[in-house]
Amino acid sequence: MTDVDRGYQVLSIDDLDRYTTLNGTQVLRPLRRRLGFRPFGLNVWVGEHADDHVIEPHREPNGPEELYVVLRGSARFTLGDEQFDAPVGTLVHAPPNVFREAIATEDGTTVLAMGAKAGEAFSPSPWEDFFVAYAELRDGNVDRGRAAMLEALERDPDEWQGAFNAACFEALAGQTDAAFDYLRRAVELDAAEVRRYAPDDSDFDSIRTDPRFAEVLGR
Amino acid sequence: MTHAHLDDLDAIEMPDGFVWRPIRRRFDIRAFGVNAYTALAPGEPIVEEHTESTLGHEEIYLVLRGRARFTVDDDDLELSAGQLVHVSDPSLKRGAIALDDDTVVLALGGKPGEPHRVSAWEAMFAAVPASRREDWDEAIRIHEEALEEQPEHPALLYNLACMEARGGRHVDALLHLKRAGELDPRWAEHARSDSDFAAIRREPGFPA
Repeated sequence: MTDVDRGYQVLSIDDLDRYTTLNGTQVLRPLRRRLGFRPFGLNVWVGEHADDHVIEPHREPNGPEELYVVLRGSARFTLGDEQFDAPVGTLVHAPPNVFREAIATEDGTTVLAMGAKAGEAFSPSPWEDFFVAYAELRDGNVDRGRAAMLEALERDPDEWQGAFNAACFEALAGQTDAAFDYLRRAVELDAAEVRRYAPDDSDFDSIRTDPRFAEVLGR
Repeated sequence: MTHAHLDDLDAIEMPDGFVWRPIRRRFDIRAFGVNAYTALAPGEPIVEEHTESTLGHEEIYLVLRGRARFTVDDDDLELSAGQLVHVSDPSLKRGAIALDDDTVVLALGGKPGEPHRVSAWEAMFAAVPASRREDWDEAIRIHEEALEEQPEHPALLYNLACMEARGGRHVDALLHLKRAGELDPRWAEHARSDSDFAAIRREPGFPA
């Protein structure tokens, strides 16, 4: 019997998978996904070197409130108009709509991030799966990446973003027919949004000259 | 306040010996449950022994500093900083003692598939310092604030009645105790031997 079967599991954050962002300066160590934790979102972010982003600059418009806990190292946080140093042990609360960003001031700065929307039941965001999918693809692990992508599609089969990202993934993986199948599905779900983003998305560079690209986008 | 250090959180020593360091309440987080716990000394409790059967919460305990020995479903687990135990089964009994000075455990929890609801126990814990110094007005205020969100919560009503009885508000105490007993008869039973109600035990309307 595994610990999971027993109703509990033990883990070290050092045992989590590591996925680097496209620009290579930020590392995601997916925690919620690894544990199958269901009540809210939970991830570990690492800035490997001082001056790396440990929390990317972003807002959560009408989205989750978040809490960050500095587990290792130290970071310079920006929250709205406020800037402050956050040594290990600092807790930072970011309400929805407030700009937030954190830059590591020490190598290996590690931040636990949790978040959910108040008043709503939590549903895992597909960005986690696609982040993992693209990172696996960049590392040459196409099958593992596709498995992560399919998890998101199975959970939210009617979200246009899922089919759109799957089309990007397959275009990058060189699976042109599959890419068009997903792109068609994305158009079925929300043609306006797909037509807004697809033409300028470099993920589609390998299929842009294929006549089906213009056909699917209705151009 | 947007940020705070763990060491600057309130430190509320609970009757069972562990120290509650409220985080959710500090930031008024509404979307999930999050708190820290410390101990008075190595060998002392840091997480009270309990189950989550009533609330149905899935929980994670992450050791932020030091070491702690968790007991989950009668299994002993010694965890150091950076290690966590995720208890997905709410019925499992869990608790921990600190093994090092300065051990800190971060506790995360919520009920899958439902919007987060602030746990009533937080108000009861938060009222402990006021109760300890017999500031019944403050203890009552904390309970009344929590009841605004959950007006029919039997444990909150019962605890409010305790504070009111101790604070000399006997009529209010009887009314709230009656309501707690109507919502869950176990509270009426419990009241019969609860010393908080010594002053109103002989009043008409006290649970027989």
